[in-house]
Amino acid sequence: MKKTYQDEMHILGRISGITVLLFIFLIPTVICLYFNIFPPFNALLKGILMICMIYIPISIAEVFTYAPMLGSSASYLVFVTGNLTNLKIPCAKMAMEQCEVKSSTEEGDIIATLSVAASSITTVIIILIGMILIKPIEPILTSSTLKPAFDNILPALFGGLGAYFIRKDWKLAVVPLAVIILISVITDISSILGIFIPIMGGISILSSRIMYKKGWLTGVKE
Amino acid sequence: MDYLDVANSSIVYILGGILILIVVIQSFIFLRKAYKRGLVIGMEKKKMNTAIKSSITFSIVPSIPIVIALIAMVPKLGIPFPWIRLSIIGSMQYELIAADTGAKAMGLSGLSAAGFSAQAFANVMWIMSIGIIWGLLTCILFLKKLEKGLSNQKKKDNTWLTILISSLFFGMISVFIGPVITSGSVPLYTMLSSAAVMLLFSFIVEKFKVNWLKNFALSLSMIIGMALAIFYQSLV
Repeated sequence: MKKTYQDEMHILGRISGITVLLFIFLIPTVICLYFNIFPPFNALLKGILMICMIYIPISIAEVFTYAPMLGSSASYLVFVTGNLTNLKIPCAKMAMEQCEVKSSTEEGDIIATLSVAASSITTVIIILIGMILIKPIEPILTSSTLKPAFDNILPALFGGLGAYFIRKDWKLAVVPLAVIILISVITDISSILGIFIPIMGGISILSSRIMYKKGWLTGVKE
Repeated sequence: MDYLDVANSSIVYILGGILILIVVIQSFIFLRKAYKRGLVIGMEKKKMNTAIKSSITFSIVPSIPIVIALIAMVPKLGIPFPWIRLSIIGSMQYELIAADTGAKAMGLSGLSAAGFSAQAFANVMWIMSIGIIWGLLTCILFLKKLEKGLSNQKKKDNTWLTILISSLFFGMISVFIGPVITSGSVPLYTMLSSAAVMLLFSFIVEKFKVNWLKNFALSLSMIIGMALAIFYQSLV
C-alpha cells in the first residue's frame, strides 16, 4: 500500500525532529569534551529543574494550542525552528487567510507548511546576516532612536493581526479579551505571558462552547 | 584560557553551521513536499506562490529583534552559541530567561554578573539547550495521535472544530492584547495605530479590490505602528 502524504510527513517530521534533538545535545557535549570544561553537577541539575518546571508544561500546552491551527507538517517544522507567537503563528494565520483556506483541511495544512517553511528560511538568513554584520549594525539596531520601534513590535504586530480577526469573528474574541483585561488590571502578567496562552485558550474554548450550544455562533465565518 | 575564547572558537561555529544547515534543508524539503502535494490536489500555483512570497515579506521585520537579542547575549556567551540558539526552537524571551537561570544555578546573580566562568558558560549552554526540547519531543511522540483526535472530531462536528481552533487563536492573541490595553502609554497607542491602519487597509482591499495590498497589509500596518511608536515615545 502506498503511503499517504500525511503518513510521509509524519515520518519526515519525526526523522528530522530526532536528528535536530540529537544535534541539540551534541553541541554542548562536543564543546565540553573538546575544551574539557564541565558544569558542576549540582548547578546543572538545579538549572535544569528550574527551567523545566516552567517550560515542560508550557511547551506541551503549546503543541496542543498551535498544532490544530497549523496542521501536523507545519507543526513539526515550527517546533524545530521556534519563534512561534512573534512570527510563525501570525505569519501562517495570515497566509491561510489570504489563500482562503481553513485550518484542519488539507489545503490549510499545505498553505501553513509553505508559510512556516518560507518564514523559517527567511529568519535563519536574517539572523545569519545579523551575525556576520554584527559590528556595523549593532549601533544602528541598538540606537536610542529606533529603540521604541523595536520595543513595541509586539503591540504593533498584534494590533494589526487582532484588528483583522476580531472584526471578522468578534463574538469569539469578546470573552477572552474581557477576561485577560480583568486579569491584567488585577496583576502584572507581562513577564509570564507564556503561561497564560494555554489558560486563555481554555477559557476561550469554554466560552465558545457555551455560545455554540446556545446557538449564538451561527454568523461565525470560519 | 579565557572562556570567551572557548565560546567564540571555530568549533562552535562549525557545529552551529551544521545544525542550521539541517534546519534549512528540513524547511526546503517540507516546502517542496507541500508544494507538490498542493499541485496533486489541484491547488493553484499562484495561490501557493502568494503564500510563500507574503510569508517571506512578513518575516523580515519580526526577525530584526532576534538580531537585537543576539547582540544582547554576545558579551557573555560569545557570538556562535547565541546564534545557534536563536536560529532554532525557542524565542528571544526564552533564551534570555534560560541563560539567566543557568547563571543563577551557578550561584551568580544573573547572566551579566561578574565572575562568569567557563564552567558557568558550560552550564548555561546545557540549560538553554535542554529547557526547550519538550515541544519538539511532544510533536515526535504525540502529533500523530493528536491529528487522529482532530480528524475524529471533524467527522463528528466540523463546525465546532473550526470554532474551537479559532477560539485557541483568540485565546492566544488576547494574551498579547490585554496587558497592552491596561498598560496604556506608548505600547497602547502603537497597538491602536496599527489596528487602525490594518482596518483601513482591509477597507481599501474590499472596496477597491486592491489585491496586492492584501498580501502586505499586516506587514505595513506593523511597520507604520512601529514608526509611530518612535513618534509617540518622543511625546511622552
